[in-house]
Amino acid sequence: MVKRERGYTMLEVVIALAVFGVFLMIIVALTAEMRANEKRYPINYMAHPEVSAVMARMRKDIFDTKYYPAEWQGYEQTPKTLILYTLLQSGFAETVVWDFRTHGEVHRKSFNATQQSGDWVAHGLPDFSIGSFTLDTGQDAVRIKATDDQNRLAIDEIFVPRPHN
Amino acid sequence: MRKSPGFSLIELLVGLMILGIVITTTIVMFTERQKHLKQANETILAYQALANESEVWRRIDFASLNSTPPTFQSDTAILAPLAPYTAVVRVDNVSSNRKDVTLTVRWANAQRVARLGIVRVDTGGSSLW
Repeated sequence: MVKRERGYTMLEVVIALAVFGVFLMIIVALTAEMRANEKRYPINYMAHPEVSAVMARMRKDIFDTKYYPAEWQGYEQTPKTLILYTLLQSGFAETVVWDFRTHGEVHRKSFNATQQSGDWVAHGLPDFSIGSFTLDTGQDAVRIKATDDQNRLAIDEIFVPRPHN
Repeated sequence: MRKSPGFSLIELLVGLMILGIVITTTIVMFTERQKHLKQANETILAYQALANESEVWRRIDFASLNSTPPTFQSDTAILAPLAPYTAVVRVDNVSSNRKDVTLTVRWANAQRVARLGIVRVDTGGSSLW
């Protein structure tokens, strides 16, 4: 007796397709929600350790700033370079240049008198720009902004130097 | 006669149930993670605006705190993704030389709130706060 080859019935195929279709719909719905969120919200750079490091170091430098030199060793105050004269824990001070001119990189160059004493580099960063923000008290705050690749404002922080005697 | 091998209905149902639990759990975890990421993004944007605004209110003259319009003075462009949102300031006179300033941002039909409070003390015009 020849054994009959049995395939899937129409009902089995329809049920399998229905189950697959349900999963497909769920995945499409979730992906659509993710896309909508991606379009709406800028990239969360604060979760990026290098960005956090830049913000933290810059905040400290600006808190302890005594003044902003107009230029220093070929650098000028521009939206891409920030020059400040900041106090150190030792009580001495140093001149610091924050250089945002290279795309994706930030350099923090410190100078002891005229001698460069450090060059700290952070990589993989968004496009930062520096602006001033003058308060009614006359204090010159620094406003740091960064946009993501879709040109959405992702970082906008004001740092104000603390008063010094 | 030898019974043809295959899964019984019970085995099939149990298998489907286990698969269903695994898939449902994965989807729920994924959805929750997405929700939390979205909320974290929103909170970070809100607190940047609050921190910036606090720098402004920290430096408004003590005597002028009550007469200053109870709105954000700084640029709130960072809050654009949260629109529609409200950003308000409340000044409470705690004592003759102390005022509490509370900055609040509400969004998602006021379901989500971020607040930042600062204490202002009358220092007699010195640059301390």
